[in-house]
Amino acid sequence: MDKAENYASYQGMEGAPQVAAMPLERDTLRRFVQAVMDHDPVYYDEEAAAASKFGALTAPPLYPVHAFRLPADVPDPLEAVARDANADGTAGIMGVTFGLPPIESPYRRLLNGGNEIEFYRSLRVGEKAVAHPRYASVVLKEGKSGAMLLVTVETRFTTESGEPLLLNRQTLIWR
Amino acid sequence: MTRCFEELAAGDVLATLDKGIITPAHIMRWSAAVENWHRIHYDQPFAREHDKLPDILINGSWKQHVLVQLMKDGLGPDGWLWKIQFRYKRMDVAWDALKGRAEVIEKREADGLGFVACRIALVTQRDELSTAGFAVGVLPLRGGRAVPYPFVPKPDYPVFTAPAD
Repeated sequence: MDKAENYASYQGMEGAPQVAAMPLERDTLRRFVQAVMDHDPVYYDEEAAAASKFGALTAPPLYPVHAFRLPADVPDPLEAVARDANADGTAGIMGVTFGLPPIESPYRRLLNGGNEIEFYRSLRVGEKAVAHPRYASVVLKEGKSGAMLLVTVETRFTTESGEPLLLNRQTLIWR
Repeated sequence: MTRCFEELAAGDVLATLDKGIITPAHIMRWSAAVENWHRIHYDQPFAREHDKLPDILINGSWKQHVLVQLMKDGLGPDGWLWKIQFRYKRMDVAWDALKGRAEVIEKREADGLGFVACRIALVTQRDELSTAGFAVGVLPLRGGRAVPYPFVPKPDYPVFTAPAD
């Protein structure tokens, strides 16, 4: 039977800061806001952005969570899809744990238990986001349908100079 | 549209946002924009046969940004979205249409600023609850100081209790 002490060592564990491979570029931002269908001029109109509180072209508030792309010099994650019909295409993707060591457990089914986010400032064009992840909480629970592991990953996002951008607490449910 | 704290009351609709029908092309565009190659978002046979899903899924990450946009646009350029929380209530698939709604449920003043707590939701064209949540925005008081940017919260800023979904 699984025990809470199996997970004690993960509680409060911090990961090394992860720096986005590339600074935010205008074209990346253009494609991103077109995909969100958010036409706020502070994302693409330099004059409007300069006159706004942002002072320069800026990304949507939650963009830093998506700023961590694969660098060009790593293996192609889609090679696995060509080799294995069961590969889901996520190999090598940083996911929501931003480099934290995976939690060893017998649970294989992952559900998103929700997010709580605080915003402080938006990422500007030319800036790189930095993710500072930690396991804020790892709790083993016994439910009606069996045991589950509730994991809250708390990730602070900053600029490279340390200015806070946002704080994201994401709860993952492993069953 | 600029907005001040006094214009809003509990029960008011802060904002609505209609994203219309989300086709496979919309889902593919988002997956490409964020470089998410999970096959459940673009490979229909994989989604149906491997993951036993009804169709390719609209990305949860896209829905997050829609809720953030809903609040950001509702608060206007003088406001700031401070906090947001949400939980996914169902899996939405290609050809679902999604609409967002933010309703003011409570407001308080502190430090010369107005804090507005809202119930937020995304619903489908069949009025099914897709995503439910809660958000806190900050607005200037009428004739008061601007909401600081960057926004640095103080320990004595109001704490609101999120409503049940």
